[in-house]
Amino acid sequence: MSYYRGICNFCGTGCGHLLQVENNRVRGVYPLPGHPLSRGRLCVRGWHIHELLQTEERITRPMIKEGDSFRPVSYEEAIEFTASRLKNFRGREVACLGSPRASNEENYLFGKFARAVMKSNNLSLTSDAGLEESARILLEGCGFPAMTGSLSELRQAEFIMVVGGDLTKQNPIIASEIHFARRSGAFLATISPRKTQMARLSQKHLRPNPGTIWLLLEALARALQTEGLVKADYLDDKIENARQYLEYLDSLHLKQVSELTGVEEQEIILLARKFYESESAYVFYPVGIQSLDRRSMSALLNLFLLAGKPGRPAGGLCPVTGISNLLGSLDMGVSPAFLPGYFPADKEISWKRLEELWQVSLDRTPGQSAGSCLLENQSLRALLVVDHDEEIIRHINRIKELDFVVYFGAYQNAFAGLASVVFPRLSYVEEDGTYTNSERRVQLSQKKVEPPAGIRPLWETLSRLAGALGQPWPYKSAEDIMAEISRVVPQYSGLSYEKLRASPGIKWPVDDLHLSGTEYLLAEEAGCRFRFVFDRSPDRFQNISSVNEGRFPFKLVVGRSNYFWHQNSVMKRTFIPKREYNALLLLYPKGFVEISEEDARALGLREKQPVRIISEAAEIKLAARISPDILPGMLYIPYFIEEMISGFLHHQASDLEKNEEFFLPVRLEKVE
Amino acid sequence: MYWLSGDKVSLLVDRLAEDYAVYGPRRDEVSGEVIFDRLNLLSRLDLQAAIPYNPPKYVLFPQYEEIIKYLYERQSRKVTIEKIDKLQPKALIGLRACDLTGILCLDRFFLGQEFVDEVYLEHRQKLFLISNTCVRPFPQCFCVCTDSGPAAREGFDLDLTFTGQGYLVLVGSRKGQRLVEEIGLQEAGPEAMARRKKIIDESVSSFDNFALENKAWISRATNRLTTGFIKPEVWEYIGNQCFECGACSFVCPTCSCFNVEDVNRMGGATDRVRTWDSCSFEGYTKMAGDHNPRKPVEDRRNKRFFCKLSYSQSKKYLRPGCVGCGRCARVCPGDIGLPNVVTYIRREITGE
Repeated sequence: MSYYRGICNFCGTGCGHLLQVENNRVRGVYPLPGHPLSRGRLCVRGWHIHELLQTEERITRPMIKEGDSFRPVSYEEAIEFTASRLKNFRGREVACLGSPRASNEENYLFGKFARAVMKSNNLSLTSDAGLEESARILLEGCGFPAMTGSLSELRQAEFIMVVGGDLTKQNPIIASEIHFARRSGAFLATISPRKTQMARLSQKHLRPNPGTIWLLLEALARALQTEGLVKADYLDDKIENARQYLEYLDSLHLKQVSELTGVEEQEIILLARKFYESESAYVFYPVGIQSLDRRSMSALLNLFLLAGKPGRPAGGLCPVTGISNLLGSLDMGVSPAFLPGYFPADKEISWKRLEELWQVSLDRTPGQSAGSCLLENQSLRALLVVDHDEEIIRHINRIKELDFVVYFGAYQNAFAGLASVVFPRLSYVEEDGTYTNSERRVQLSQKKVEPPAGIRPLWETLSRLAGALGQPWPYKSAEDIMAEISRVVPQYSGLSYEKLRASPGIKWPVDDLHLSGTEYLLAEEAGCRFRFVFDRSPDRFQNISSVNEGRFPFKLVVGRSNYFWHQNSVMKRTFIPKREYNALLLLYPKGFVEISEEDARALGLREKQPVRIISEAAEIKLAARISPDILPGMLYIPYFIEEMISGFLHHQASDLEKNEEFFLPVRLEKVE
Repeated sequence: MYWLSGDKVSLLVDRLAEDYAVYGPRRDEVSGEVIFDRLNLLSRLDLQAAIPYNPPKYVLFPQYEEIIKYLYERQSRKVTIEKIDKLQPKALIGLRACDLTGILCLDRFFLGQEFVDEVYLEHRQKLFLISNTCVRPFPQCFCVCTDSGPAAREGFDLDLTFTGQGYLVLVGSRKGQRLVEEIGLQEAGPEAMARRKKIIDESVSSFDNFALENKAWISRATNRLTTGFIKPEVWEYIGNQCFECGACSFVCPTCSCFNVEDVNRMGGATDRVRTWDSCSFEGYTKMAGDHNPRKPVEDRRNKRFFCKLSYSQSKKYLRPGCVGCGRCARVCPGDIGLPNVVTYIRREITGE
């Protein structure tokens, strides 16, 4: 029984932990003191990762489906069979779904398999939409695709603004750092319709009506202008399209915004001033399963640029990723939009470069996400999936129609049952691998236990498959793959296992200019001038005004809960987090909908009374839960309730995934 | 009292390693922080290291432990129940006084009441305990306020006090006496007891200079908690900052709450597993029929501090439930470790 250093694999914070190993089993976990970000803390999920790692519900052998059951087979047979089938599909007929819980090495290779072997650009992660959008906006606006600041400087922060989500639930240790920063003097503001714990810890909480966060953010920028805090000459010098953006703001009237968002004009002005006056500022927003929408993210970027905040220490624009290696997976190019290293897929030069590096010809046909393929792409015939939460299950009918489905997974779950071939995968403690957290910190997680007999690493399985399909790959270890990544992904060019072994992680870009990594984006280094990112649509209020109709007076918002993300197949294998989840489900076996005290009173609702929620497309019966955290006119349903996702929200699910601003107009009726 | 020169420590450890799995403080290679761990390399033992980040609680009350195994035979309709394999004897070297006190509290909980916990008892009977006086307090310490340090008074087999050249060794049990004789330690001389007392007194008086993180006001807080005169707003203020992670309980040397789960294993047998639990979780106090006496987070926080500091609870342990190690303050994402809570209670009393 001894403790070994490692990195938590749940959310995108990447906390350090110590795993206690006894007789080749992980028996306990303890926070790692001295980790530069988590500083010896873990959240409820992190404190129970050992329960998950002890599960016996593993996939331990390759299996081929015959009829309704699976036949365990040797690797040779599984690879030969899979290769013989995959040979028949190419390009648009194939979609590949990587895993944000898998390592950089695994995702890089999976992406290479999709593009170089299957010639398909239908390559994505399930919960990436928000992060990809954020990367696009940040690239356009400041030439840098990820968090421009660094979390290890948070405690020196002067001003922190958290927009949307609830960081105390999604990334508790980042929220904890923010809390500590506030306690040591930072000003903390939260913008969210719900009264979240983050909001309770803030000095200022602005509660815009659901769907109006973007408008409130534009209004903050407008307030800088009306308060005379914007110097047009200075902006012209720094920002390409400053004039156009200022004109765009001109047409916004704070009074009107105040009516639409429900936030007092004076409050908007006060917060804008506070933001402007602080020496540096951090702005946080969630990306991943639920994320801000494009408009809100760009409004946030614009506000940040307008207030002159980029390039200062102890500050930054900070997208926060919900799953351990979400950012790393995008760095590795598991995305229809970006090749490894954020080279845009719509530029020929990106393809030329990659062809040269990989020494293979690549197909330029624009790709789609696996989710969109399942919804829209009628020519789709084969699907390859790495370790997945059960969320993709909602496409179950379409998946059943496909000719061939390959699943690479560590744990048994409902998705594996849909596959034609199943390959086992190692859990993250059974193999070396690097993981990149929200703040671009690349951390090496080293092997701690021997895998169950016979399970081979994913990189080896993929290499053998590639070989069987005519592309022999030379990798002998995960370290070899990192050596290749450092040649292909410029941000990782200075990284090696040797360097990572002795460090608590290094923040990319790590290159000749930044040998020990990069804390925050230096304005002069960005190389390009900044740009405001905005669409000059003729009527910016179009979508807001169409909502306030009599038939569906409530705005239904969907959120994540602390213990459960979607119907997290990971959490179900723990004891305490599962119990806390069940505690809620025992109270509300069919799920619940939260409603404000005011609305409950007006409707004469009691706690737990059954109600019917009716939208344009569907209806669902739930128990009412009266909550002080909800604005009048708003309803809230936590995302983990299965029936919600598979049935009621089915049609809206892809909007929901993209967008934390998503809400559904509904009405509520008592069930008599 | 005996004398153990610095270069003889390895003699003691090697002798113990013949009969016991040896645990003690070691430094992490990368961060330099101190962890109480199984010493696969005995040379990693560092008796001069600061108080370890983790308490030794897990050695006798593991975070995850199978306590029995049972199998239902469908054919014969019989259930066989097996005790889990025999436990290995363990020696804990370099225990800080607070952590030793924590073990004594666990003893009261698992052994000292109507029912004796057999699994714990077996762990406990096979332990060899060597405490190590804190000749200087660490920044987070307040054991002088909770009567649990800086030196051990009882419960050890051997107790070490560092003098600068070597260790004064106090024997606390027959097991300890035997070991001392086996490795041939010399008597430390007639003035040894006075020397040990002087070292401890110096340590106590240096708390003002070194234990700078905590200026707790434990006794008044104890009084206030017992009488229940703390305003609900104080608990709400504390509750709002609770992230409900359970860390305070997991790192507490005296927290003994556990959860029991039956886990079906491949092959048909079932393991009954005991895991750490925490009163900060909502599910912890939930009863059948949806009733939860401690539903709001502030009620749960309130109970924890009641358990650590109130007189009525102290009667159970025969001492305060807090041993002053300061760990809860270090691991808390909400910065509401016990010393801060005591501070908030003090502010309420003094109206600061």
